[in-house]
Formats: sequence, C-alpha cells, structure tokens
Amino acid sequence: MHPPILIVRDLWKSYAEIHAVQGLSFEISRGEFFGLLGPNGAGKTTTIGLLSGLIEPTQGQILIDGIDLFSRPMEAKAKLGLVPQSFALYPTLCALDNLVFFGRIYGLKGNRLKERMANVLEMVELTDRADQPVATFSNGMKRRLNIAVGLLHEPEILVLDEPTVGVDTQSRNAILESIKSLNRSGVTVLYTTHYIEEAQRLCDRVAIMDQGKILALDSPDCLIRDLGKGIIRLDFNRGIDEKFLDQMKHIGFVRVVDDQMRIIHIETDQMDQASREIWELMKSRQGLLKTLDISEPNLETVFIYLTGRNLRD
Amino acid sequence: MTLKELKVLWLDREALALLFAMPLFFILVMSFALEGVFQAGSKGHPIEILIVHRNGGTLIDQTIADLKQLENLILIETYEGNPVTPHGAEELIRKGVYPLALLFPEGYTERILKPSKDPQKGEISISLLSDPAINLQLLATVKGAIQGVIQRRVLLARIPQRFKEMVGTFDGMEGQIEKLLEGKEVSNREMSAVSLIHTFPKGFNVGRRPTATEQNVPAYTIFGVFFIVLTLASSFLQEKKDGTFRRILAAPLSKTALLIGKLLPYYVVNLIQIGLMFCIGVMVFGIKLGNLPALIAVSLALAAAANGLGLLVAALGKTEPQVNGLSVLLAITLSALGGMMVPTFIMPNLMKTLSLFTPHAWALAGYHDVIIRGLGVKDVLTEVSVLFGFAFLFFIVAFWRFRFNE
Repeated sequence: MHPPILIVRDLWKSYAEIHAVQGLSFEISRGEFFGLLGPNGAGKTTTIGLLSGLIEPTQGQILIDGIDLFSRPMEAKAKLGLVPQSFALYPTLCALDNLVFFGRIYGLKGNRLKERMANVLEMVELTDRADQPVATFSNGMKRRLNIAVGLLHEPEILVLDEPTVGVDTQSRNAILESIKSLNRSGVTVLYTTHYIEEAQRLCDRVAIMDQGKILALDSPDCLIRDLGKGIIRLDFNRGIDEKFLDQMKHIGFVRVVDDQMRIIHIETDQMDQASREIWELMKSRQGLLKTLDISEPNLETVFIYLTGRNLRD
Repeated sequence: MTLKELKVLWLDREALALLFAMPLFFILVMSFALEGVFQAGSKGHPIEILIVHRNGGTLIDQTIADLKQLENLILIETYEGNPVTPHGAEELIRKGVYPLALLFPEGYTERILKPSKDPQKGEISISLLSDPAINLQLLATVKGAIQGVIQRRVLLARIPQRFKEMVGTFDGMEGQIEKLLEGKEVSNREMSAVSLIHTFPKGFNVGRRPTATEQNVPAYTIFGVFFIVLTLASSFLQEKKDGTFRRILAAPLSKTALLIGKLLPYYVVNLIQIGLMFCIGVMVFGIKLGNLPALIAVSLALAAAANGLGLLVAALGKTEPQVNGLSVLLAITLSALGGMMVPTFIMPNLMKTLSLFTPHAWALAGYHDVIIRGLGVKDVLTEVSVLFGFAFLFFIVAFWRFRFNE
C-alpha cells in the first residue's frame, strides 16, 4: 500500500443548525482512484470545498502530502488540482488564454507553461480548438478543458467534482476514459459522483455519503459483497394489508418505502427463489401489483440498503 | 409565465425593493437638489455672504441693516464667535465654506461723508469676494442687489452733506430729504466715487472666470467614473456565477492578491477615462487644467473611491438585479447629492451637509480647486485624503462582507 497523499481527520462543517459535513475521516493512498458517492445534497461538494481550501471547516484536519491545509494553505494547495462541477472558465477567452491565466496562478511561466499547455490540450484532444473562444465549445469540450485546467500544474492529487454532469454519453465515455488513463499514469484521483456506474467502473475505493456522513467505505466489490443485496421493488395499485406484508417478510428483509404501504422493497441474497415466491403470492391477488423491478446487487442497492432511499430520490 | 415571473421577483426581495427605492430616491434627492436651481437667492433659499468691516461707522451699520432686509441674502458677520477678518473671509471662501464675502474698506463712513478732493484718493472700493466656482448668473443677481443697497445708502448720506456744504445747516431736514429720495434712482456722479469690485481670493486664478465647461467637465467626469461600479460589481458576480472564483481560490493565491489583481484593471480604466475626459475638455472646449500634479492626485484618489464602491456593491449584491439596481441607484443619487448636477452651495443646508458624505462632492471640490481656483497639491490634500478615506472605508466593509464562495 502506498503512503497516503490525503488524510482527513474528524472533519466538520456546520452552517448555523445545519451540519453539512459531520465528522468525516478517511485517507487516500498515492495513485489511488477514490470515489465519493452520494445523492445530491449528501455533502460531496461541501467536502470538496473543504479539501480544496475554499471553505473553512468548523473542526478537523486535512493533510495533503503531509502538509496541513489550514496552517500552510499555499504549499498544500499547490499539490491539489481542482476540477469544479461548474465549467469555471472564461467563455470570452480562447482555450489557450484560459490555460495561460490559470497556469500563471499556479506559478507556471515561459517554456514550462507552453509545454504543459500543449500536453494537457493534447490529452483532452482540444489542440485544434485551442485558439477558439470557449463560448463556442460544446458542453463536452468545456468539460474536457475544465479537466485540462485542473491538470495544468501537474498536481499530486486531482479532485473532480461531478465532471460528467450535463454531457452526452459519447463525451462522457471519453472523459471517463481520459481520467482513468490519467490515474494509470500515477495521478491520484478523488472523484465525486452520483452515478453508480461511474463509481463502480472507475474507483479503487468508494466512500458512500449521505447527510454529511460516510456510511460505508471500501472497494466497490467488497461493498457489494458485504452490503449489496438484490432488491425487488414492488409497486402496488393500492396499499397492502398487514397480513400480506407478514407473508412477504418470509421471502426477505422487507422495507416499506411509503406511508400508504403501496411501495415495498424486499432485500435478499436469493433473487431467483424470492422471485418465484412473490409470483406465487401474487396469484391470489390479481390486479394488485402495478410494477415489479429487480435490481441485482450493486452500489445502488448498497446505498438503498444503507439509507432506505434511492441515490436519485 | 406571469406567476412564475412574479414569484422570481418576489424571491429576490432586495432587487424588488431597489426598483421602488430608485425612483423614490431620485424624486427626493433631485427635488431637494434642484430646488436650489430655480430658487437660489430667493426667500426660501438665500445665499450666505460674509460681511467684513473694521469700525466702519454708522454708514456701514445702516448699509448692513439695509442688506439684512434683502430676502435673498443671509449676512454672516462672525465666524466661530469672532468678527470676520479680510484674511479669514478669503480662507473661508478658499475652503468653500461660504461662496461670497463683502469687504468694506477701513474708515468707510468717514471717507463717504468727507470725500477727498483728489479724485484718485477719493475713490472708495468695496470688494465682493466670490468663490470662482459660483454660478455666474447667481453672482450677477446678488451683485446687483448689493450694489443697489450701497448706492442708495451712499446717496442718502451724501445729499444732506452737499446741502450743508452749499447752503449751511438745515436742522431737521435730513429725515425729510431721505424720505424724498426713497426709491429714487441714484445719480452716476454721486455713485462714481464708490465702486463694488468683484474679486477672487488671493492665490486663485483670477485672470479668468470659470466657464460652464470648467464646471461641467469635472462634474460629468466624476459622474462617469462612478459608473465603473456597475461594470466592476457585475464582473465579480459573473466570476462567482461561473465558478472561476472557486477555481482561483483553490490555487495558491491569497484573497488579497485576487482582489487587487481583479481591481487593478478597473482602476487603470478609471484613470484612462478621467484622462480622456479632460483631454476632450482641453482640446474641444479649451479648458485650462491648472496644476497637473494636483489634478493627478485628485484623480488617483477619485478612482480609488470609485473602485472601493464597486467592490462594496459586489459584496452586497447577491443577484444580477440587485447589483444593477444598487449600482444605478448609487451612481445617480450620489452624483445628484454630491453636486454633479446642481452645485452644492445652492442646495438646502441639509442637502449640503449630506453631500459631504459623498465622495463625489469631495472630488468635485478637488477638481474645482485645481481647475477653477488654480490651487496646487498642498491645497487639495484634504480632498485627496477624504477620497482615499472613502476608498479605505469601502474596501474594509467590502472585505468584511465579501463572500468568495457563494
């Protein structure tokens, strides 16, 4: 195991009565692809704000490559590259001018700056559009340039905050591939997303966040193995009675999702057997079932298992 | 659609409030300020004038009593409890405390009643000292009124004297003669020995009168300079909206460096703007700029105050409508209050006092000192310091209120 590039200890951020981040503690190893997975409002962006020194924590410590972010912010920040959720580019300037501006902020100049600009533009395949205003770019191109800016000063750790929001599937795949290849080349990546498939596809380890807390942290495989049950979602035309609910409890762990008892989840390791038993039960209740969804164990079902909610609820 | 727009408007209450506050402020400020334009020198808006005399005798007392009857003048004979001296009057006008002063020569009464036979020695001059920045039309009106009072009082004093010289004493006749002459035109011959000379305080550029351009170019330059507030504040808001601020702040760069780097171009733009306006003033209207270092000092301080206000608006305005509304409200209201549209000396006292709380008024005073009054760097140090003081205050409040990460 590589030494940690990022250490977060008991991190809190409160706004009046609201605790946006509650006691986060985790470490990211050098070269790791680390994911923060959680629904919108889980506290991911606040966490990113804290990790990049944009927000002062209420309590806690962040060490980047052993440097305390809050006592030596300039040194610590130089080791981190941020790719914000918004494009964070100057639309009237061309791609090159954007890179020159942000490069200089990180102390790059002269040939070194030119060399780095050429590298990142090539990496995100925007070399031929370098002298065109960003306003003329598609969302996918803007996202790629956004990543290029974050990489310009060769950070020790690249923090990406939902970098694929609002892009088409093709561009999204290209972006994910380029990020994965960056990680393969040795760049540590901290990646936030609410897309299960991205976290599952890219991350070495995933921290599942909800309401400002980390609920579980492990590799996707381990999380799915330990916490991921198959989930059968039953949506009824009307609320079911207690007797019927008791019958279903023999099939697996039953979670009633709504107050009217119209939607229930059955969590189980034995999906085939559970499906057959449900089928048998429904025979005597024709017309009651509206829809039935079967989800194989994955990070989404891990999240549902941990919170009782869907990631996109 | 309508409901949605109403809801959007309602949710941004600060912007909504500004929509109502703007016209309200304009009406209040402009009405109060412009009242002076139409009524300056009238009963409701008299002009203050310093009266300087040293044991001038009964004739001065009578003249002052007559002047007090004029509804368009307020006579100031003492300042901070002491009689006003010629030097004191000059200083008060130089500082812009009062716009006018009437200076009677020593032994005035005696010289009127016992005129010298030598025509050169016999000429008596009363000085009307004025701030060069005073409105010329207003000055002519005031001068005419004063001249009329002085002539009448000189005539009333001299006619009995002439009779006495010609035919001896007519006991008890003086009162009747005065009565007879009440309201009559004064002969040129009687008045020729007393002249009312209009001058400026010493050290002022007395070679020429201020023109409308000399008054308007600085005023509208200041007016324009403060429009940077809108551009600057909108730019800050855009950076916040685009997320570029977040990205910059994640870099090893201090907030102070960020703000200075962001403000510097606008400061330079302001200085170019001022330079351009004055160039047009010189080339198109032929105004003379006076002491250049003094002009530069005022301009540097003015641009700092304007940028400070811009940053303050950026710190206070959370949405685009708020920033737009606040910028326009401040630009117009402070300009009107600061004397850009109407000179402050013809405003009511309350407005005059309020104008001192605007950087505009101090900038205009500084420019008038340099361009119209022909003063130098040392003389505009107060205005320059106050303007930098405004800038400092705006920056401090802005730093305190600025939310980088919204």
